[in-house]
Amino acid sequence: MQTEDRINIEIFKVVTRAIAESKNLEIMAKHLAQLLVGALEIKGATIFATNVETKELEVLGSFGLSIPYMNKGPIYISRSIKSAEKHKAVVVRDVKNTDLLQYSADAIQEGIGAIVSVPIDFSGRVIGVLRLYHHDQWDISERDLDSLFVVAEIIGLAMMYARMNHAISDVKNIVGDVHEAWLE
Amino acid sequence: MEPQKILLPYNFSQNDQKALAFAIRTFGPLENSEVTIFHAFTPISEIEASDHQSATAKLKRRLSYLTQELTEREMALQEVRQYLISKGFHRDRVRYIFKSRKGETSAAIIEQTKDDDYDVIVLNHKPGKVTRFFTGSVFSKVVMAIRDITVCIVS
Repeated sequence: MQTEDRINIEIFKVVTRAIAESKNLEIMAKHLAQLLVGALEIKGATIFATNVETKELEVLGSFGLSIPYMNKGPIYISRSIKSAEKHKAVVVRDVKNTDLLQYSADAIQEGIGAIVSVPIDFSGRVIGVLRLYHHDQWDISERDLDSLFVVAEIIGLAMMYARMNHAISDVKNIVGDVHEAWLE
Repeated sequence: MEPQKILLPYNFSQNDQKALAFAIRTFGPLENSEVTIFHAFTPISEIEASDHQSATAKLKRRLSYLTQELTEREMALQEVRQYLISKGFHRDRVRYIFKSRKGETSAAIIEQTKDDDYDVIVLNHKPGKVTRFFTGSVFSKVVMAIRDITVCIVS
């Protein structure tokens, strides 16, 4: 059990800088997962994007989890740590005593004791999830949870920025392919 | 069919396993086929610590322990190499590249194709993924950028 605050302003600055300075969302997600694992002294962290068509969570970046655990199967939004209230975090303090997990046996085998799931919101919609995995049972402090909410909001902004950036880049490539002869 | 020099980008996903199975089925029976399994990893985040007692200094020290994950990934890549050998590829003709990347995965793959003369590249593609809106599709970026290589897409 641990309730002491882990994320102070110094750590928060490092985490937000990793988001702000990254030019690539894939690398940003991976670095962010590494930093959160290091700062909170936990087992692993994953950033997911929600796929509203397939109703699945897709991994954007992850750190600390084994290859078999990452390949355990599709993660369905409706079956994996679904919050009773949208936009609320879910803390699974003990994975052995919960019915919130889709792959509880895999989590136990992986050596996960507890999971914290924080929604990534953008403009009132949940576009992703930040999940943190602890070795043991875990009582995360309220203040750390608040900090994670802010981090998740910044991740949401970064995700949408990256999405816009890709859309503009795609348009540029398509326009670039139009030969001048077609414009005369 | 002539012997082929094959590049197999590998990211430990289930789709990569499909691409691996395809490479074994298609190129395994060919004598002298040469396979390079390629994984470009994200290096551990670099942070600056103000002084060695600070929270960031402690975080920096903890991050240095986290390199274990990279060691495990490299070992897993070696296991993939052994698997290919067990499926009939000649020991001297299967190698792996495990290298750090600073940019996108697609850029690392494209750079690798320029560094070495490959005949074939085996890529996987899972349609309908939402992450491509955020990070772009590795498959389409590689296909758009490379020239004079046969591209096999496993979907």
